[in-house]
Amino acid sequence: MSHLCDSKNTDTGLAPLHLLPRGARARIVEIAAQREFGAEDHQVTQRLKELGFLAGAQIKVIGFGLFGKDPIAVQINGTKFGLRRREAEKIMTQLLPV
Amino acid sequence: MSDSTLRFALVGNPNCGKTALFNSLTGARAKVANYAGVTVEKRIGRLTQLDRPAELIDLPGTYSLYVASPDEQVARRVLLGEMENEVRPDALIAVVDSTNLKLGLRLVLELKALGLPMILALNLADSAERRGIRINVEELSRRLDMPVVETVAVRQSGVAALNAAIRQAQHQPQRQATRIELPQRQEQVEALYARIDTLLCGCVSVPDHPPRWQETLDALVMHPVIGLILLATILLLIFQAVFAWASPVVDAIDGSVQWLSTTLTHLLPAGILQDFIVNGVLAGCGSVLVFLPQIVILFAFILALEDSGYLPRAAFLLDRLMRGVGLSGRSFIPLLSSFACAVPGIMATRSIADPKERLITIMVAPLMTCSARLPVYALVIAAFIPKHTVLGLFNLQGLTLFALYVAGILSAALVAWIMRRQHTSDDHFPLLLELPSYRWPNAYHFLLGLKERAWIFIRRVGTVILALSIVLWFLASFPYPPAAASAPAIDYSFAGMLGKFIQPVFAPLGFNWQMCVALIPAMAAREVTVSALATVYAVGGEAALGSTLAHSWPLPVALAYLAWFVYAPQCLSTIAVVKRETNSLKTTTAFIVYLFALAYLGALATHALAIAWS
Repeated sequence: MSHLCDSKNTDTGLAPLHLLPRGARARIVEIAAQREFGAEDHQVTQRLKELGFLAGAQIKVIGFGLFGKDPIAVQINGTKFGLRRREAEKIMTQLLPV
Repeated sequence: MSDSTLRFALVGNPNCGKTALFNSLTGARAKVANYAGVTVEKRIGRLTQLDRPAELIDLPGTYSLYVASPDEQVARRVLLGEMENEVRPDALIAVVDSTNLKLGLRLVLELKALGLPMILALNLADSAERRGIRINVEELSRRLDMPVVETVAVRQSGVAALNAAIRQAQHQPQRQATRIELPQRQEQVEALYARIDTLLCGCVSVPDHPPRWQETLDALVMHPVIGLILLATILLLIFQAVFAWASPVVDAIDGSVQWLSTTLTHLLPAGILQDFIVNGVLAGCGSVLVFLPQIVILFAFILALEDSGYLPRAAFLLDRLMRGVGLSGRSFIPLLSSFACAVPGIMATRSIADPKERLITIMVAPLMTCSARLPVYALVIAAFIPKHTVLGLFNLQGLTLFALYVAGILSAALVAWIMRRQHTSDDHFPLLLELPSYRWPNAYHFLLGLKERAWIFIRRVGTVILALSIVLWFLASFPYPPAAASAPAIDYSFAGMLGKFIQPVFAPLGFNWQMCVALIPAMAAREVTVSALATVYAVGGEAALGSTLAHSWPLPVALAYLAWFVYAPQCLSTIAVVKRETNSLKTTTAFIVYLFALAYLGALATHALAIAWS
């Protein structure tokens, strides 16, 4: 999975949150639309923003659920949240150097 | 409630300590734990130190007034006066987790726009201080234009200052309107956060890194291998402890009951009074009381886990697994609570946003082995399963108990999976779970919780179980057998008649009529089965009852009896809470029918398989 981020990095430096490896630090660039949420996509975006997932905020990947990379645990503004892959896909980030 | 009563409401993010503050301010003893969604219903207490009658409403936590899951809507509707038969609060006490200021203040600014008098409590002030977070309270109060008080609710610190602020607030003029309109969102979330940054700038300093030990712990807990081992070890340890650590105390209580029984038999003249006291009251209550240590140990683990912050992480780790059967991590805490008792477990399902997932969780919650089943399992296991050590580490009895728990869990998974297939999902509800900071369980709350659980159990022994024991003794003793009777006296009693009347229904499962009699009072409480068996077989004490059972039941029948208890919805309070939470007679009927059907088929299959095996 990490090589995927690397390849993206060399192009634009942008990657959606769900592709980041454990321990990665990144800066949020935008909250994108996600077709899977259908009509409720706007609500999900709003909720993510209210919890602090805003452009410019720093985010760190702490870990993943058992058996795979979904859900994903992140830390933002000192608070930790568990997100599903679908929500994480909405969060476009720019990877920061370690 | 008179109209002059002043109403304060506690509002804040989930898990910021509102209920602990509520307890401190009102002297109540509502349940507190370290995860979001402990309070699912509003709760009202009295504030006694004011000049006029006043009450305090504890609301379920919410992140926002605008986007809300069902349990969060309770808070919004109460605040705006949209709840029927409910006058809206006159003033707000906003509670913020000091280690998590930004998130909390965002809600505070939304609340401020409602225009109600407000006090801000910066709770968990001690944790913030330990982390090096410095807050200039006076400056923050000036900038927010409201009284601000630092509190540590679980240690009563700052509660006096908060009370003083409440006394000040009581003289605010009371608003007339019964409803408030939720103002249109005045600004984008980005702008709101920018405003918070300006507010905090210069009056709050936060260190760059959260404490190292929290990080290390999370690295272990969420490690793909270590995390799994840790989770499995914790669960297995609980079952080992319930059986192994409790046994010395169980033996001591059992011995005392035996001693008392023998002493009373000698002291009292032989006759109906001696029989009533020794075989009715003492055998009935004593045989249930011996399970107190096991129940205390089970709750000790559950309370410590609840307070530590581990539970939401376990929910997070297991989300993928639970999604496989149509549930999600959100169902984890309600289902885990159901291991103690299905009633609070089913109530906790209110924090599940998806109505279908909530329904499925309610339907399978009673398949989690509750503490009332423990006495029945313990009795039958101790009587029929040898105490061998397996793999040098586990004893066979503990493993059998573990297997019964697993049987319940697997059945729940299967039922959930089938139900999810019927209700095709349009699951758009995000998981979005807050993972709170770890903390040491608070000794006071831990001991208080433990004392309460133990006391509830003892009180049940003294009331429900005592009453049922007396009724059973009466049914088992009268009428007397004819003078020339050859069979034991109980064969001629009401209990004997009743048992024999229903026994044909259970004959395919191998149950004898004594077992059938014991099933009837179990509808009030499953653990009464134990005292019912003690009464029907006229023996007191766990050891004595066990050896009697071992002689009178074949092993396949004993196993079938255990299987019955894995499934049967033998608890009226659970049925009542399902009716209340689903508000549907049809669903409740389906709930009862499907569980009894599973119980019957499960016992039938177990009986047949065990016979084929031996």
